Formats: sequence, structure tokens, C-alpha cells
Amino acid sequence: MDPAEVEFLAEKETVKIIPNFSLDKVYLIGGDLGPFNPGLPVDVPVWLALNLKQRQKCRIVPPAWMDVDKLEEMRDLERKEDAFMPVPSPHYMELTKLLLNYASDNIPKADEIRTLVKDIWDTRVAKLRLSADSFITQAEAHAKLDNLTLMEINTIRSFFLDSLNCMYKLRSNMQPSGDSKGHFNDY
Amino acid sequence: MSDAASDDGSDINQDDTQEELMTPAELIGKLEEAWLNEKFSPELLENKSEVVECVMEQLTHMEDNLQRVKKGDAKAGIHRMEIDRIRFMLSSYLRSRLQKIEKFFPHVLERQNSRKAGEPSLLSPEEFSFAKEYYANTESYLRVVALRRMPSNLQSVDMLKAVPEPCLDSFVFLRVKERQENILVEPETDDQREYVVDLEEGSQHLMRYRTIAPLVSSGAVQLI
Repeated sequence: MDPAEVEFLAEKETVKIIPNFSLDKVYLIGGDLGPFNPGLPVDVPVWLALNLKQRQKCRIVPPAWMDVDKLEEMRDLERKEDAFMPVPSPHYMELTKLLLNYASDNIPKADEIRTLVKDIWDTRVAKLRLSADSFITQAEAHAKLDNLTLMEINTIRSFFLDSLNCMYKLRSNMQPSGDSKGHFNDY
Repeated sequence: MSDAASDDGSDINQDDTQEELMTPAELIGKLEEAWLNEKFSPELLENKSEVVECVMEQLTHMEDNLQRVKKGDAKAGIHRMEIDRIRFMLSSYLRSRLQKIEKFFPHVLERQNSRKAGEPSLLSPEEFSFAKEYYANTESYLRVVALRRMPSNLQSVDMLKAVPEPCLDSFVFLRVKERQENILVEPETDDQREYVVDLEEGSQHLMRYRTIAPLVSSGAVQLI
């Protein structure tokens, strides 16, 4: 999957905005939005929030987890533990990147937040690499990965799944073939 | 779906388009699930034509409304953005299916022909005719370009043997939507033994596609 497609999925998350225009309720196929009144907060999907922000029609309110102290705690916890810790949001990486790119003026201490989220990401991806390595060397057949986000899974998806399939091919060719119907499997 | 008549009593009847008794938001949710499942599954999944048709209906309906609205209306822009997003998912879903049909065409046709009556169809009517045409074109291409110049006892190609099958033993990532118990995990190496795992609701796993394939079609797990 493309990282852009993962971002596409992340854009469905809702975020609070403060519009500077008024508009009555919008009946989208995916749900109802609004009504919009200047100065009153409204929940909208991220794709709409970013569009409105670019047209200077609103102010974006950062989500509750996008706070320096909370992120520092999470980063320290992530570094301390070997297992994957619960994430602030299932799309924390994409939301951070999108909101800080387009709305950094609405987010206090944007640079610190960027660094903290990057630290959390780096720690988690390092753990992911280690556990993927041990998965392969120990030839496991099953893994539980509850706290992983889609973006993290996606970084190793193609390489990891292809290697696992390759190894399966090699291993099953070593065993005496029982009832191979002469069909070749696709890589 | 063909079992709309056997009502299970839990359908929300807010926006009935044909036999589908679900809200438009749920419909888009179903499209997204079908899109992700099709993207990550190694084999072609069951055809979700009722979802596709309903989504197309919603999109054309919305576009008709937008034609009638005067230009520059604030809401029109928002609606158009949403339409674009839904259209992207739909096209990506259909494209995934076509890719798999082209890749595994003899096996897809065999699966479709060996379906018993009453089982949901693997291909939509358009996809079926596409697959047949693709088969016929490939066959005639091979014949014209190479086969007819071969010795007469070597002039046929068994497509089912020539085209690789999808590898159902590929690993996939999945998220559990309905709790499942006692899913068998087969061993990788000879010195391991098989064991069972329980799949908790909301958990994410990495395992072979083959064991969980029926759960994907029933909707109990979602590929991610």
C-alpha cells in the first residue's frame, strides 16, 4: 500500500475546527456536518479541515494528545518498555505530519511536537525491525501486533511479506511433495 | 445480496436503495472494507456488486444535485471533495479486482464455473465477460505467435497449469472484528507443532491467509 493511501485513510479521522464563516448543515454521504457558525467549534473530517484551513476559513484545534507533556511521557514510556505501547491515535504519524504542515500556526510548540513524535516513531520502528527479525529467524507462524498503527505496518509490509512468502516456498520445496497437483504457486 | 429476503431483523431502514437496508455512511464503510480486503488478499474475493451499485447510485444522485445548484456555492465544493474520495476508493477496488482477474484468469474462470447454484458469485457479469475475453485473446495470441509453428503434438497449452495459482499460504495482517476461538496455526518447520490461538475482538495479527480465508468472506476479520 502507498503511504499516500494510508494518509488517505487517516484523513477520515475527525478534528475540531473553529470556522470564521457560517453555513448550515451539510448532508454528506458519509454523515452530517455542521452547522457552521463563526467562533463555535465543529467536528469535521481532517480532509475537510485541511481544505478549509488552506482557504483561510477556519482555525484548527489540535487534538488532546498533541501536547508536549503528554508526548514526552509517551516517548519515555516507549523507550523504557520492550513491547509496543498504546498509541495516542491510530494515525498519530499522519495526523502530526498533516496538521503541522498546514496548521502549525494553530498548534503551540509545533517544533517540539514534531521532534517528540519523530522520536516515538523512531523507537517504535526500531522495535518493529527487531521483532520482524526474530519472527523470521524463529520461523514463527503467528504474531499478535495490537498496538501497531497502519503506517508502521506499512513501512515493512512489502519487504516482510515477500520474504516470508519466499521462505515458505523454499521450505515447502525441501519437504517431500505430497500431492502437488503440478500447479505452480505465484510469488 | 441474494439473502435480503431472509431478514435478520437488525437492518436499519433509513435509506433503502434496492434491497440494501443500511445508511449511506454504513455503505461507504462497507466499500472501504471491501477495498482493503481486496487489496491485501492474495486471491480474488467474492464480488460485492450490490455495494458497488449502491455506491454508484449515491454518487450519480449527488452529482445530479450538484449540477442543479448554482456555481460557487460553498457546499458544492465540500460535496465534490467527498465524491472524489469515494470515487477513488471505488476505482481502486475495481482496479484491484481486474488486476487479479488478469493475473489468475484461468483459475478465476474455473472457480466461477464450479460455483454451485445459490452460492454468491465470484465475478460480476461484466468481469465475467472480461475474463472470458481475456482468456480467448490470450489463447489466440499464443496460438498465432508461437503454437502453430510448433510440432503438431505440442500445439496446445493447458492454461490452468501454465498460469500460476494465487498463493493462499501468503502471510497477511488482519484486524479482528468478531471474536474467534480455536484458530489453527500450522507450524513452519518440522520440529514445531501446530497450536490454536483465540482471536480477540479488536486485536491485530499476522498469519497465513489460508486459515483465515473463510473469516474474511464472512466479515469476521478485516485485512489491513
